[in-house]
Amino acid sequence: MNKLIRGAAAALLILAGLAPAFAQDAAPDFRKLVETLDSIDDFTGSDFSGVFTIVTDKPGKRQEVTQVRMFRRDSKEQFLMLMLLPEASKGQGYLKEGDNFWFYDPTSRKFNHSSMKEALNDSEARNDDFKRKKTLEEYDIAKTGEGMVGKFPVWVIDLKAKTNDVSYDMVTIYVRKDRPLVLKQEDKSVNGRLMRTTLFPKYADVGKGKFFPSQMLIVDEINTGEKSQITMAELSVAKLPDKVFTKAFLEQTN
Amino acid sequence: MYTLAKIAFRNLNRQKKRSFLLGGAIAFGIFIVTLINGFAGAFQANVAGNMAQLFAGHVFVEGSEKTAKGKAIDIIRDDAPVMAAFAAAGISTEYVAKRSYANATLVFEGKKATQNIYGADLEGERFLKDRLLFKEGSWENLRDERALVLSEGVAKKLKVEVGDRLLVQLKTVTGQNNVGEFVLAGISQDMGLFSSMLAYAHRAYVNELLDIGPDEYQMLGALVDDLTKAELRAKALQPALAARAPVFELPPAATRAEKAAAAKLAKEAKAARKKADESKAAGAATAEADDDAADDAEEAAAAAKSANGSPMQSRYQKLYKLAKKETWEGTKYRVFTINDLLSQIEDLVKVLNIASVYILAVLFVIIMVGITNTFRMIMYERIKEIGTMRAVGMQRPAVRNLFLLEAGFLAVAGTLAGWALSAIAMAIISIFDFGTSTVFALLLKNGHLSFAVQAPHAIGGFLLVLVLTLLAAALPARKASRLEPAAALRTSM
Repeated sequence: MNKLIRGAAAALLILAGLAPAFAQDAAPDFRKLVETLDSIDDFTGSDFSGVFTIVTDKPGKRQEVTQVRMFRRDSKEQFLMLMLLPEASKGQGYLKEGDNFWFYDPTSRKFNHSSMKEALNDSEARNDDFKRKKTLEEYDIAKTGEGMVGKFPVWVIDLKAKTNDVSYDMVTIYVRKDRPLVLKQEDKSVNGRLMRTTLFPKYADVGKGKFFPSQMLIVDEINTGEKSQITMAELSVAKLPDKVFTKAFLEQTN
Repeated sequence: MYTLAKIAFRNLNRQKKRSFLLGGAIAFGIFIVTLINGFAGAFQANVAGNMAQLFAGHVFVEGSEKTAKGKAIDIIRDDAPVMAAFAAAGISTEYVAKRSYANATLVFEGKKATQNIYGADLEGERFLKDRLLFKEGSWENLRDERALVLSEGVAKKLKVEVGDRLLVQLKTVTGQNNVGEFVLAGISQDMGLFSSMLAYAHRAYVNELLDIGPDEYQMLGALVDDLTKAELRAKALQPALAARAPVFELPPAATRAEKAAAAKLAKEAKAARKKADESKAAGAATAEADDDAADDAEEAAAAAKSANGSPMQSRYQKLYKLAKKETWEGTKYRVFTINDLLSQIEDLVKVLNIASVYILAVLFVIIMVGITNTFRMIMYERIKEIGTMRAVGMQRPAVRNLFLLEAGFLAVAGTLAGWALSAIAMAIISIFDFGTSTVFALLLKNGHLSFAVQAPHAIGGFLLVLVLTLLAAALPARKASRLEPAAALRTSM
């Protein structure tokens, strides 16, 4: 009960803090807004886990279903993903330990270096779509403006990478004016061409003032007709055992 | 000895059919082995020759830089030290290709193809102009700064025609996503398996997509006067470049003791993992400790294996891996040859040569049985003749030598016939044109199978045949030499 009260209080505090910025159409402090966006799915102080189901459609191919259980400990930048589906990939996993990102193959029982920029099981999602966001460490705000996404008035923020460790050099995010939630994200190539659009139609309140998209639709803008729909379930901020973020965990799960 | 040789030759001539069959068996063995040797001999040269055309060089230099995050990227920003090293090593830069390359996905009307695209100096690269044959399109079309030349196979797969615009998806040298647009300027002759490696575009545009400067590039390839001199030139270039800039150097190959130690560690790791799995299955209290021990053992084994280098990796792959392990500032260079890229082929040729020796040995074990039986029969057929020769004064060693000489003549004649047959077969096979678009194009010389018999292997094969034939005849020869003249003459066979 205490936890519930503390969580609700934290959520109220965040919303109260943001209230002036979102109560009116006056342009907010965009740096602060981006910081807030990062903070709402920053689970530092607790752990985060969930099951993601990714349904991928590609023209001329059968629909592919990928299911992944994800564990995050943001305070130590630890991240683990375990493949549940398809059957052929079951038991494969990704583990981030500091700067190292490993891929585990249960068939060979070997760990190989991988990259957060890689696509997840040939879907439109990338490994780094699920990591903790540190937007202002990676991007500068290049331009801001206003617009509409569906019936929602939004702030449009153009970001330009300040490091080459990111997948996309330019990103545009569309943030609801009334609440600090991203509705749409456009990922662009180095030369500014739109490559991927991600829509976030639903968010789940995971407690302690934290929100996480419970549905995402990623559309490939280069390969017409290719898209992935991601549904998140079993989202939890419960404490995870330390051994989850180890190579041994991936080995023992198989 | 001359008389003995004459008698031996006469004896072989007396039984033409039998001699022909025995010699034919030997000739068949030699024929098969010479064909394999001939193929293996040309195999490496053909692959290296074709790959040298593909990569436009026999000797190569690549540059590598480390990013702030420690990631190695391939780039040559300033090639002054490289060109100075070429001059110092006395290597001509007449046929030098400076290229960038991208592993890209081409997209055209919903169809996709993975393609290696070389950013080349399409106007200045003489060698490329000489060898790039257009099936459609022309050099005129290459004036477009976004021009792309694709091979026929890929163009067909994408259903794209000259003049069409294609999207290209790739990553910059630092790994960021980028998209570009090419105009198909030409379709080149297909190269089978190599189609996905043969696409050319202007270096300036490929560089733009890779997010590097217009004058920068990633690989410098130089065609030397002769493929066989590639190693020699690279050996001269390596120290010349090392005197001007940091250069990667492969550590010496692992010693036998180091390999044995790594194998022992691998065995121990396997045993530790088995024990850990058993403990886990049995739910033993030591399961976790056993698992940790297995992890440690596997790590130690992996470290030892990594230090020795995998036998499956080419010398170039081993050289490339050094960039991940080492740290440096500025640009560090890799010097390598086409043979370093293909060092696995060298191993394959060695395996083929060893296999040919085994095939020869197995064939001759079978042939030896036939020779031994035939010479036993010959001995019984000629028992009275041997008795007569012994009675008129021929000594025991001379009788033995007569049989051995007959066997030796058979081996020589069989070998010569085998070589002649294989030469005819090779000449006939090499007439057939398999084309350059087959999956075997890499093994062919301008679409034809070619052969290069290596003299040491041919001579070795002949000596093996000679020794085995003499061994096969040795027992009957010894028996014939021990016949008592009187007893031999009394024999009624």
